[in-house]
Amino acid sequence: MESEAGKNPVLVIPCSGIGKVQGLLSREATYLATDEVATGVTDTLCLALLVTGDEDAVAKVQTHECITIDGCAKACARKNTEIAGGRVAKAVQVADALKNHRGVQPGTAEILTLDGWSVAREIAEAVAADAERLQAGEEVAP
Amino acid sequence: MSYAVLACNGVDKAEGALAREVGLLVAEATGGDVICPVLLNRAPDRYQKALGEDALIVVDGCGTRCASKLAAGVGAKPKQKVLLSTLVKASGEHLQASLRLAPGGMALAESIVADIVAALGAPGRQATPAAWEAPTEFFVVLFDKFEFRIPKQGYLFCENDTWARQMGNRARVGISDYLQQQLTDILYFNPPVLGARVEQFGELGEVESSKAIFEIIAPVSGTVVAVNETVVGESPELVNADPYGEGWLAEIEMSAWAEESELLLDGPAYRGTVGPKAADY
Repeated sequence: MESEAGKNPVLVIPCSGIGKVQGLLSREATYLATDEVATGVTDTLCLALLVTGDEDAVAKVQTHECITIDGCAKACARKNTEIAGGRVAKAVQVADALKNHRGVQPGTAEILTLDGWSVAREIAEAVAADAERLQAGEEVAP
Repeated sequence: MSYAVLACNGVDKAEGALAREVGLLVAEATGGDVICPVLLNRAPDRYQKALGEDALIVVDGCGTRCASKLAAGVGAKPKQKVLLSTLVKASGEHLQASLRLAPGGMALAESIVADIVAALGAPGRQATPAAWEAPTEFFVVLFDKFEFRIPKQGYLFCENDTWARQMGNRARVGISDYLQQQLTDILYFNPPVLGARVEQFGELGEVESSKAIFEIIAPVSGTVVAVNETVVGESPELVNADPYGEGWLAEIEMSAWAEESELLLDGPAYRGTVGPKAADY
């Protein structure tokens, strides 16, 4: 896809995982990116809204660069964004981030530990860096 | 009866965060399964048992009703459907512009969950985060015949010898080992009112010991969302036996952790204050 995004914010789309801590990490990393470390550069979108065929949501993923954050290998965020016609410039896997922190207890589906927050922030900072590159018209490693 | 909970888990409005909390709390209260909404759409077979045998509770954050649509998409017939945006409006609460749940939001979530559980006729229980692990490493301050333990990490203290342990936007609060030993046997904990607003360094209930009545000082500000009913009820002595673990006193949904934590002491700093306090006592 030719970059039509221009200065549009990059969409950070977390999975809808709810029963495990990986889903919460995906969600909190997204909030950290959109609310703190990449405010204005990034925006977010409900995956469930996209999956239910909301026209505005579908149009948005087709006209913005997208970064997906998936909690598990089922990769619901990446796959459903692609099915809706969006270009996933970067697909982040929470499991990959956790591999760099072996032995860490990130928390539960309900709440993150301090270590969990560190992992979420690490993901958010990487997403922010990629989002800035995308907004500048550069490519990022998928 | 067994239950399954399908919450929209939206991210682009505060109501989505509320839906997530309500969904998890309902699942906890009913012992139900949690359904991942988008995975339900991609792989409904995974939830065959939940959809076929369990009573389904659907929780939508906003009027687009994504969870309801996803349930309908797989032919599920919910036992109960909840639309949070209308309940928020009816409650008079104003969820903040942030996508995260606002202070006060957790108390609203627990109130909504209590109503849902009551309507189901399921036995409810107070929802409390499960990930509060007991500390394992301590500094030990020796004074005379006393040993005062201080967790090496994860706890922040105020000068009035209460501690706060942060998890997300909540803090669990209790008193230090030093204070419980000074007070001697704790006989009674008069807790703060659930839902009450407390200020940092303001009053957070009081404990009565065989020696004194002591006002608990809140190390952080926010809304009281839980109290340790075991300590309030049958076992106030837990405060003596395990002040950093089972003897916690209350949980506060915080409103200014980043700023207020700067005014608290970490384990090493608090350790430096305990010896002089004991000497002055």
